[in-house]
Amino acid sequence: MSIKVRLNPILKSLAGGQEVVEVSGHTTGECLENLESRFPDIKKMIRDKRGQLRPYCNILVNSESIHPKELTTPVKDGDQIDIVVFVTGG
Amino acid sequence: MLTKDDLTRYERQILYTGFGEKGQKRLKQSHVVVAGLGGLGCTASLYLTCTGVGHITLIDCDHVELSNLNRQILHCEEDIGGEKPLSAARKLAKLNSSIEVTPVFKKITEHNARELIKGADLVIDGMDNLQTRFILNKACVAEGIPFIHGAVQGLFGEVTTILPGKTPCLACIFPEVPQRRSTIPVFGVTPALIAILQVTEAIKLLAEFGSLLTGKMLYFNGETMDFTFCNLVKNQNCQVCGTKEV
Repeated sequence: MSIKVRLNPILKSLAGGQEVVEVSGHTTGECLENLESRFPDIKKMIRDKRGQLRPYCNILVNSESIHPKELTTPVKDGDQIDIVVFVTGG
Repeated sequence: MLTKDDLTRYERQILYTGFGEKGQKRLKQSHVVVAGLGGLGCTASLYLTCTGVGHITLIDCDHVELSNLNRQILHCEEDIGGEKPLSAARKLAKLNSSIEVTPVFKKITEHNARELIKGADLVIDGMDNLQTRFILNKACVAEGIPFIHGAVQGLFGEVTTILPGKTPCLACIFPEVPQRRSTIPVFGVTPALIAILQVTEAIKLLAEFGSLLTGKMLYFNGETMDFTFCNLVKNQNCQVCGTKEV
């Protein structure tokens, strides 16, 4: 099963410049773990020390918010996950 | 009504097809609130001023510091310690004395946000923190005022235009307000570029031409010079702009 994860520009730089990474998994959480195993710097950016998604990150599936099931939403072949990192400065 | 001086001052933009004197009149009749006078707000208000927006309100609750001067281009060394809205308004008045600039030295809160923006034609997001951005987003949706969001970090930036009731709002993307992070790195060029994109959106929106960055976020990556887009979808359950009861 192939799921595409589209990376925010901040995360893209942590994945060797790749904008889209193909991962596998049955839920968004599994897909993110698959991604993080390949790019540990992304894990540091999007998870806190307890493994929770940091509050300035959000997960979209096929461009739609899945709050509050960011890590438990089922995904199927061909779905696209977006990791959105909220930029804070002004 | 455009004056003879207006026609001279704005000659080069009036020549633009689809804008013309009609567009210039619309800008002159417009009121824009610039919320925050940091890197984004300084550049945004500078270009709103020189493009001839008739009334600009500048809101900020901070004083100018030395560490601001790498990016907040309306403040000078002599302004350190002064109120940012006043410092900015002084420079803008010298640039264009034919427009009205209203400095407001206040903190934007849940309680006063709607009052501060009431009657404006649009609000430019120049905030430096997420909490106030979400307060403004909510106030703009409640007042039906377009909100042009911009934010920066390092050499990264993002822009989207929010039209209440029509496009996704910030709370559609982030249902819970993210917590504030520590001081972030930023180069002056990043907010300058993002603010100019915000003003570009403002000009088109006010003068009613071109197409807008609605329903999508534009991301800028200055490290690689990439401009990319992410489509945004309205969340029907959004607590700010959603149509379903929650």
